[in-house]
Amino acid sequence: MSYEFGFSFLSERWPAFLAGAWLTIQLTSVAIVFGFALGTICALTRVYAHPLLRRFVGGYVEVIRNTPLLMQIFIVYFGIASLGLKLSADVAAVIALVINMGAYATEIMRAGIEAIPKTQIEAADVLGLNRLQVIARIVLLPAIERVYPALTGQCVLLMLASSLTSQISTEELTAVAEEVQSETYRSFEVYVVAAMIYLALSLLYRIGFWAVGTVLFVRRRHLDTPL
Amino acid sequence: MNTQGIIRAGVLAVFACLAIGHTARGDALDDIRQTKRIRIATDLGLPPYSMTDDKMQPTGSDIETARLLARDLGLELVLVPTIGASRIPMLQTGKADLVIATLSITPDRAKVIDFSVPYATLRTVIAGVRSIQVKSIADLAGKTVGTTRGTANDFYLSQTAKGAKVVRYEDDATTAQAFASGQVDLIATAELLLPPIAEKNPSRQLELKYVIQAYKLAIGVKKGETRLLQEVDRWVRTNLKNGKLNEIYKRFHGNDLPEMILEEGR
Repeated sequence: MSYEFGFSFLSERWPAFLAGAWLTIQLTSVAIVFGFALGTICALTRVYAHPLLRRFVGGYVEVIRNTPLLMQIFIVYFGIASLGLKLSADVAAVIALVINMGAYATEIMRAGIEAIPKTQIEAADVLGLNRLQVIARIVLLPAIERVYPALTGQCVLLMLASSLTSQISTEELTAVAEEVQSETYRSFEVYVVAAMIYLALSLLYRIGFWAVGTVLFVRRRHLDTPL
Repeated sequence: MNTQGIIRAGVLAVFACLAIGHTARGDALDDIRQTKRIRIATDLGLPPYSMTDDKMQPTGSDIETARLLARDLGLELVLVPTIGASRIPMLQTGKADLVIATLSITPDRAKVIDFSVPYATLRTVIAGVRSIQVKSIADLAGKTVGTTRGTANDFYLSQTAKGAKVVRYEDDATTAQAFASGQVDLIATAELLLPPIAEKNPSRQLELKYVIQAYKLAIGVKKGETRLLQEVDRWVRTNLKNGKLNEIYKRFHGNDLPEMILEEGR
């Protein structure tokens, strides 16, 4: 079997790939920031709040983590529009990704929060810190530090999963690849190029998370030991 | 399948991938005759060309055409499901021997695959809600139009209707859903999709705005498979002449094939 590779479409179509990758970065980054915030709030709720609220958050986490992301995207985009509120594809995509990321971040952050030794919290109580101060100064940062690798992995997964939003017409990297493929009929090469860009983006996110971690975790930077 | 079976299948799959580089391929027509089966790619989301009936069985004019072709050539028919944008890669990568999936003849496509003699026709249209006034391509400027990615309508909108904002969905069902849910008020699609969409969503008041083009639909064959192409051409001509293709078209579309298709058989 012989196959001649042809990458000549790149010379003309690279701006489209670039625009697609840029939209992928935008969708993912917004979803990471808000999804992480949502997840952190939900994790704190799940550990500290009233049992009824805990149940509620637990339900959200289970529903989202046990249904396909594509269904969630369709429900946000088509479902909400049927109710009369028209969201653009990009906005619907971000909302679906935030809801999805929030559920996974909840469980990851809960693991981190529950791993804080009780003695540290008791010590803070003795020193007269109130609940909010304990959470902000004693619990949160070490919790994030403990689960940071898992968070990084989840965010990269989210970036890769954002390719699903091409189904509802966001013109992100996968949509661009489909578009170029259907015009050039170079499916093999186009998907190889798109995959390489995704690989580069993954690397970019990992480097970014490493840099943020280095700045954020002062203790680790100075001592270079795991918690 | 038990665990062992799954592991065995996985190992086989790995070896199959490794072996791809070494498989020698003969002429497509010989391969088909040897295996006694023909793999035909179809898109089951485009009634009345192809769809599933209430028993979830494939039916439609394209499906019946594929069945008739397989029967006449004495082959077992294997339907390979696909979507609009994947139709041509299906041929290029050898996942299907033929494509019978409302594939219209366009110059760009003719560069990468071969087309048979046309066997049917498809009109593409701009349609939308009654309250929006659109009579020609000029009226599309500044408006949002939904369509299916990688179809002839997509090219039409992207390349000809410069001022329009094109929103592309993965398949025709998703495009129809986008219109039904109100995400888009105008769509570029096949004329024959309009009645089912209008019927299921009466409140959206779907109406035809204008006809984009009448396309000739042909059977797609991998480039360079001349003997297979000749065989298919011969079959199409015969069945245009004896009226069988017209009978299939009329059964699903309610009217006869237009003269521009029938004359291909003479």
